[in-house]
Amino acid sequence: MTVLSMKGVVAGYGGGAVLQGVDLDCAERTVTCIVGPNGAGKSTVLRVISGLLRPSAGEISMDGEAIGGRAPDEVLRRGIAQVPQSHALFPAMSVHENILMGGYLIRKDRRLLRERLDMVRDRVPIVAERAGDSAGNLSGGQRRMVEIARCLMLDPRLILLDEPSLGLDPRSLAGVAALIQELNRAGTTVLLVEQNVRLGLGLATHGVVMEGGRVRLSDTAEKVRDHPEIASLYLGGTTAPSGSTRAPAG
Amino acid sequence: MTQLVQAIILGLLIGGVYALMASGLTLIFGVMQIINIAQGAFLVLVAMLTWWLWQRTGIDPIVASLVTTPLMFGFGWVVYRLLISRIRGSSASMSVLLTFGFALVIEGVLNVVAGNRFRSAAPSYFEESYRVGDISLPKTQVFGFLAAVVVLGVLYFVLTRTWTGRAIRAATQNPSGAALVGVAATGTAALAFAIGSATTGVGGSILSVLYPFFPASHYDWISRLLGIVVLGGMGSLPGALVGAGILGLAETLTATYGSLGWSTLVFYVVIMVVLLIRPQGLFGAKLREDAV
Repeated sequence: MTVLSMKGVVAGYGGGAVLQGVDLDCAERTVTCIVGPNGAGKSTVLRVISGLLRPSAGEISMDGEAIGGRAPDEVLRRGIAQVPQSHALFPAMSVHENILMGGYLIRKDRRLLRERLDMVRDRVPIVAERAGDSAGNLSGGQRRMVEIARCLMLDPRLILLDEPSLGLDPRSLAGVAALIQELNRAGTTVLLVEQNVRLGLGLATHGVVMEGGRVRLSDTAEKVRDHPEIASLYLGGTTAPSGSTRAPAG
Repeated sequence: MTQLVQAIILGLLIGGVYALMASGLTLIFGVMQIINIAQGAFLVLVAMLTWWLWQRTGIDPIVASLVTTPLMFGFGWVVYRLLISRIRGSSASMSVLLTFGFALVIEGVLNVVAGNRFRSAAPSYFEESYRVGDISLPKTQVFGFLAAVVVLGVLYFVLTRTWTGRAIRAATQNPSGAALVGVAATGTAALAFAIGSATTGVGGSILSVLYPFFPASHYDWISRLLGIVVLGGMGSLPGALVGAGILGLAETLTATYGSLGWSTLVFYVVIMVVLLIRPQGLFGAKLREDAV
């Protein structure tokens, strides 16, 4: 079943359209990874879905309901949460307060809020371990974990992750990758943008290649990874995953 | 020794009032990166309104803040919606131009309506003092300080213990991050501006008792408030508290052991020295460099 669907989406930042008619579908319980060169419009796809950027044309729908051009809080209420490329946390607030802010939209239901807090603490141990520390004093990997943990407060159906590997050392990277896989196993659909093609397609069940603001190729992650052109363009000729980060097919 | 203790206590009492006055300015800057040069004019506007209420009804000027505070909250909300919201996303210098222009409008209107002369509200206890041993504490300063402490306490509670306050702090620290957790940017900014303006409701009422004022007094007040906020660290509430305390102490100690004429100058010298060592101010953000 398709959770998210984009048809002919056009969007930009004033200096011309970055997205020039994007068609994209995300099926339930899948991990879809968008890859492509710089300037292809990968992050813009996520911004336009989460409501941070309004599309000038095209349709975006979640479970068949149009969400294109809605404000970020309305999109969140539909069950779509975004973790941006960087700087998503509130640096002078504690880790606990950051996580609490993830439940801003359910703040009036105290019981649900408490349940979600407990769930997030269980799933992402750093939330309890560093609860009182300022988010601004966490390392890059810890911050990433807290960013992802924060978006779990709304128990989203679809998580948008913008370059989760950016600036992380191998150990932090493995932790973040494991968390993404765990979320997917628990039933969350994931759409991620990743410059680290090997890692991204290794985690994904589906791959999408973007170029010049359009989707050039969309298939299973395996087929995208093995596509000869993709291999030569992004991976120096080989696309075989280097680790055991392969996510189970959804 | 008594003279020193007296000077320190008076400095802290007046510092508390300064802290209240500066808290609104730093809150507005923190959330919106808007330097509200009209904050001084808001204070003088409230002082004028308080004086008028006191004259007409005989109401205690500090108690009058129960009227002026909600009025200034509403005034701030309307000013944000009609004026400030139009320059959201522009540079801070644009906000300086706009709010300076608005301060001039307020000054002009007050000149026309109330005339260009000094006023001061003088309640019955105006010249009375409490005696604690050899220390004399003027009642006006004690009441002003207590009112400031209550308002700052409420502000602290709202900012740290309520969802509204958390949303304001979140928007202060990371506007796009706040949007991603569902905090509506425009509503939060309007609320912060309204709360920042409401602090002048109490601040201006206290001002009307403690200092003589006239329409152009706002230049003097905004200079002091900006000094406090820059010293403490732009956007930092704890910074505003400490900066205000330093200004209060610098004024009273210099007036006691030097001369009144030097009292303000000493504060600005302190600002310059501190900024040479800590350009971000005393409480400016000190986080990992890659955090923000």
